[in-house]
Amino acid sequence: MYLQEIKLNNFRNYSQLDLQFDPHLNIFIGANAQGKTNLLEAILVLALVRSHRTSNNQELIKWGTDFSRLQALVQKDQSRVSLELILSSAGKKARLNQLEQKKLSQYVGQLNVILFAPEDLNLVKGSPSVRRRFIDMEIGQIDKIYLNNISKYRQILKQRNNYLKKLRSKKTSDKLYLEVISDQLAGFGSEIIATRYQFLQKIQHFLQPIHQEITQGQENLQLDYHTLAGDPAQKVNDIYQSLLTRLTQQAQHDIAFGSTSVGPHRDDFSFVVNQKDIQKFGSQGQQRSAVLSMKLAEIDLFHQEVGDYPILLLDDVLSELDQVRQTQLLQAIHERIQTFITTTSLDNVQIDKNNRPKIFNIKAGGII
Amino acid sequence: MQYPKPVTRLIESYMKLPGIGEKTATRLAFFTINMDQEDVGEFSQALQEVQTKLHYCHICGNITDQEPCEICANEQRDQTQILVVEQPKDIMALENMHSYNGLYHVLGGVLSPVNGIGPDDLRIKQLVERLQHDDLITEVIVATNATSEGEATAMYLAKLIKPAQIKVTRLAHGLAVGADIEYADQMTLQRAVDGRQQI
Ligand SMILES: Nc1ncnc2c1ncn2[C@@H]1O[C@H](COP(=O)(O)OP(=O)(O)OP(=O)(O)O)[C@@H](O)[C@H]1O
Ligand SMILES: [Mg+2]
Ligand SMILES: [Zn+2]
Repeated sequence: MYLQEIKLNNFRNYSQLDLQFDPHLNIFIGANAQGKTNLLEAILVLALVRSHRTSNNQELIKWGTDFSRLQALVQKDQSRVSLELILSSAGKKARLNQLEQKKLSQYVGQLNVILFAPEDLNLVKGSPSVRRRFIDMEIGQIDKIYLNNISKYRQILKQRNNYLKKLRSKKTSDKLYLEVISDQLAGFGSEIIATRYQFLQKIQHFLQPIHQEITQGQENLQLDYHTLAGDPAQKVNDIYQSLLTRLTQQAQHDIAFGSTSVGPHRDDFSFVVNQKDIQKFGSQGQQRSAVLSMKLAEIDLFHQEVGDYPILLLDDVLSELDQVRQTQLLQAIHERIQTFITTTSLDNVQIDKNNRPKIFNIKAGGII
Repeated sequence: MQYPKPVTRLIESYMKLPGIGEKTATRLAFFTINMDQEDVGEFSQALQEVQTKLHYCHICGNITDQEPCEICANEQRDQTQILVVEQPKDIMALENMHSYNGLYHVLGGVLSPVNGIGPDDLRIKQLVERLQHDDLITEVIVATNATSEGEATAMYLAKLIKPAQIKVTRLAHGLAVGADIEYADQMTLQRAVDGRQQI
């Protein structure tokens, strides 16, 4: 798939913008703080209805205005779809081919994107919540049932935590409801854990050869999922049983703390190179390679799952990669992957000029 | 210019209704000014009466102008089944179906600690007492909505009632009648597959 056109109104520092893209390579060049990342963010928001930089959509609306509108035309193998998002203080509205979608899960997934930005190093270095957010976003793009499970799980978790606090403050003593809500939580929780585990397995399949190549055969990269709910490789029903058992065992503890101590909202995964967790033991370079391999593997995974290549957004990353890795990355982006690159200067990137990239010079929320 | 006092009062009253903003309220108010006096009298009396003449049935919790309500008082109805719903308006929907002939019980909502609604805030105790005092009842059909709160409430009732040797069942959900599989969303399909039945 590729993005043919986007139109923005009052998004970040753009009042009004209408851009037509090249199906292969597009480069946004400009000095700092001119709006390059904002453009990639617009594409990402059109795809996912959420930003990678903030969880508050209000921040996306241009200062001093009430709402922003984002529109896109996406060309797929057989069809063309139009996307439209309206963000305002009243919330968000999503239209697919002009029709308003009440369920966001019907909208998300029409445009698939993979973003690679400098802060992605946090995927290895950062806290577990960064990795959970990442994995939820990525699976959510290809699996609608997962999106629904996540939103149900969050709702039920809120109910359970709230009830734990009531039990703690002795406002109620009815344990039956706790049993019920724990059971329900274990139901959705086990689905989430199983899906995440399978996602990591699938991505690992693509990732290992890529990483071998990037490290010239030096490193074997593996992704390990960590949960207190038993072995994630089990059947969903067995995960459900062990999660429920853990929730029951933890009930007293959870009441005392007024919050739920086991479940996918506490899980994590790690990048293991030659048997060592590189969050703790990896060099900066090793961590960077691992993230790069992950992103490249995702391209293949999306292709397998969706039957089409995603769009690749590279925010300022080429300049951070050494020769070998830059070459690796650019090779992986073969003809069929539409790519958007931001950079402060073309000197930082070795682009094959035969590719004839479309170049956009960005200045203060406009194209010059 | 300001509207005369009685007009503003009427506009403000209309605005208390759900889904009615100032514009619609104003239109309704001016329409009311031109209505037949008789119709207006009928209207205001109807408004009064829903408050003064209606109350909740002490057995099932349905809205009624009798005591007990028409359904609870009707001995022709199947006295072995109770169908549990969230709201009185759900009873109307089920009655319009004309095929269920048992009794009802209105919970008055669903369990939702986040919204401050626990077991004591719903008519759950009344249901349990009903089951204790009435040994004709053999089945409780839980018809709460298919939301996560509705499901939790259904599970709660099942756990509460099962020890009493009464059968607890749940409404089936899945594809709507006449629905095309091709156009069903994935969640609905999943549920329909999970709830499949032998034929
Ligand atoms: N809601 C908003 N309304 C108006 N302007 C905004 C809004 N949010 C951010 N900005 C402005 O957008 C600019 C940042 O744009 P962006 O992050 O795209 O920069 P960039 O071109 O990627 O720069 P760099 O090269 O430093 O990464 C800042 O000047 C900021 O003030
Ligand atoms: Mg930037
Ligand atoms: Zn009654």
